[in-house]
Amino acid sequence: MSAAETLHDVAPMSPGKEAARLGFRLTLPAQILVLFISLFPLLMQLYISLTDWSPLAGTSWPQAWAMWNTFANYTDLIGDDRLWAALGRTGFIMAVCVPVEFLLGLGLATLFADDFPGKRVAYSILIMPMMVVPAVAGYMFYMLFQSGGPVNDLLAHLTGAPVTVAWLSSPTLALAAVMVADIWQWTPLMFLILLSGLVGVPEDQMKAATLLGANAWQRFLTIALPRMKAIMVIAVAIRVIECFKIFDTLYIMTGGGPGVATETISVYIYKITTGDLIWGYVAAIALAILVVLSVACLWAMRRLAK
Amino acid sequence: MSVIRLENLVKRFGNFTALKTMDLTVADGEFMALLGPSGCGKSTTMNMIAGMERPSGGRILFDGRDMAGVAMGRRGVGFVFQNYAIFTHMSVRQNLDYGLRMTGRPGAEISSRTKAIAEFLQLTGLLDRPAAGLSVNILQRVAIGRSAVMEPAIFLLDEPLSNVDAAFRAVMRTELKQLQREFKQTMVYVTHDQLEAMTMADRIAVMDHGVLQQVGSPLQVYNDPANVFVARFIGAPGMNLLKGRPVETPSGLAVDLGRMGLTPVLPAPLAAAARGANGDVWYGFRPESLHFAPPGTGIAREVSFVERIGARTIVHLGFGEDGFKAVFDRSSGLTLGEVAHLAPEPTSVRLFDAATGVALWGI
Repeated sequence: MSAAETLHDVAPMSPGKEAARLGFRLTLPAQILVLFISLFPLLMQLYISLTDWSPLAGTSWPQAWAMWNTFANYTDLIGDDRLWAALGRTGFIMAVCVPVEFLLGLGLATLFADDFPGKRVAYSILIMPMMVVPAVAGYMFYMLFQSGGPVNDLLAHLTGAPVTVAWLSSPTLALAAVMVADIWQWTPLMFLILLSGLVGVPEDQMKAATLLGANAWQRFLTIALPRMKAIMVIAVAIRVIECFKIFDTLYIMTGGGPGVATETISVYIYKITTGDLIWGYVAAIALAILVVLSVACLWAMRRLAK
Repeated sequence: MSVIRLENLVKRFGNFTALKTMDLTVADGEFMALLGPSGCGKSTTMNMIAGMERPSGGRILFDGRDMAGVAMGRRGVGFVFQNYAIFTHMSVRQNLDYGLRMTGRPGAEISSRTKAIAEFLQLTGLLDRPAAGLSVNILQRVAIGRSAVMEPAIFLLDEPLSNVDAAFRAVMRTELKQLQREFKQTMVYVTHDQLEAMTMADRIAVMDHGVLQQVGSPLQVYNDPANVFVARFIGAPGMNLLKGRPVETPSGLAVDLGRMGLTPVLPAPLAAAARGANGDVWYGFRPESLHFAPPGTGIAREVSFVERIGARTIVHLGFGEDGFKAVFDRSSGLTLGEVAHLAPEPTSVRLFDAATGVALWGI
């Protein structure tokens, strides 16, 4: 049989299908790697979350089935007040910090869309907080908010009376201090993203709107805002996700305290992971959060796509 | 109704002077074209009238009112951008009624005025289409409509037709003229295309290197250019200019064209003007004014190139400084390499001072 005949015998494959098949084969190693990285830990987590396994159990994790408890971890989770409080606190921090960062960032971006003397220097200074390692930022604010620290000194100077507010030891003030640090560090990111959106608004359209009689506020609402919508969504989404994970700066400043006053979901998970070592329960919390967040994200994206 | 007056208007960008002391009055309801090559300062002038640029010196007056402190949104000018600056995230209707909405007109007025302008510009069927993705020709109309709907007393157009195709350009020339007849705005139209300026404008202001060269009706700038620049710039091709020396001959003052081998006698009024000139002159005549002459009476030159453009033929004669062009309706019958004997119509001859380039009027 000649080669030509052999080729003829094979059922012709459509070019698209063939390309897809080739693509699948070529990316197979990468796919296996991705599966290993993402799917394996997920399955492992699911497995452990259905047991009472702990590193102190004396067995390695594959033997965790010996401590199988079905959904006990998940039912515990529903009744865990500390978890719900931590979630609520995280939500509160998000609800305050993200809008404040957004509005400050937008205001600054609007200022920086026009030229003014010293703009470059101001720009560099404004961007700097973002470059600071969060742990260092945490240390900075830890020092600033000491009862003998610069914040109290400044307040004393302004009021003329000695001020000894124990910022980080008061439950409410500690939460405020933590939020100030977050706003200080992450407003620049918001500013940077929003500025890039604002700069992308065509200048001619702004001029055209001006010549048609639109005032600055109308121009912002009708020309700049619609063009920035996508980038605003991205900016807010990045900050919402980051804010939900808030940990390092906060942990150095307060360690989640006083008591549990600044304990966010990350801090709570960290504490029960390293302190209580109840890894089956931790796995259940982590997985539940992942599922809830994924569903929320999907819903939000669907809404925005409309 | 508005009269635009520019008094000693100057614009400098750092060390570069974009506009050198310009004086110009655009009458009420007049269609004024600012015509010149790229970088002549015409757009800068326009931007200053609109208030987008601040003059470095001089004044801009609308009906005698100094516009110095008036922000661009409050000058009541309509402005059509070269790139249209259409609000691409809105529909055609939202573009057209934008100005009316922003200035808080009542809803009924908004819809009736938008409807009227859409009908005038044949945009009615497209009103609810998104502006993004429409053809350049449509965007062009939207840009004009968006400004026209505000019924501005002053309408400024910055090269509005430079991006559209040739056929549509011809249509728009007519429509713009109609628009102006209907609304009677004072129009300032920036262009580098003399055809647009010639066909639409009541008067043309020719500019070069930030200097106003001449202001006049299309025929004035065509027939009697004020200087060598205008002579060369207006007309396609521009005026032929040959260097010559005035000499007295028995039949009156003539211009010795040197190597061209001809010393044409000047008509009486031109001769009088030429007597005032000291030194050499440019002897100018339109390519369209050349006619065949018996050998010995015209300029004898070899045909170096023949361009046939539809009905017209442009014949290039001679080379370099001694070269000139002739335009004939239909074919000239001339072929490459042939020696042609041509003479300009005496009444079409214009003289310019060779040193200054300024016209020696004698008409």
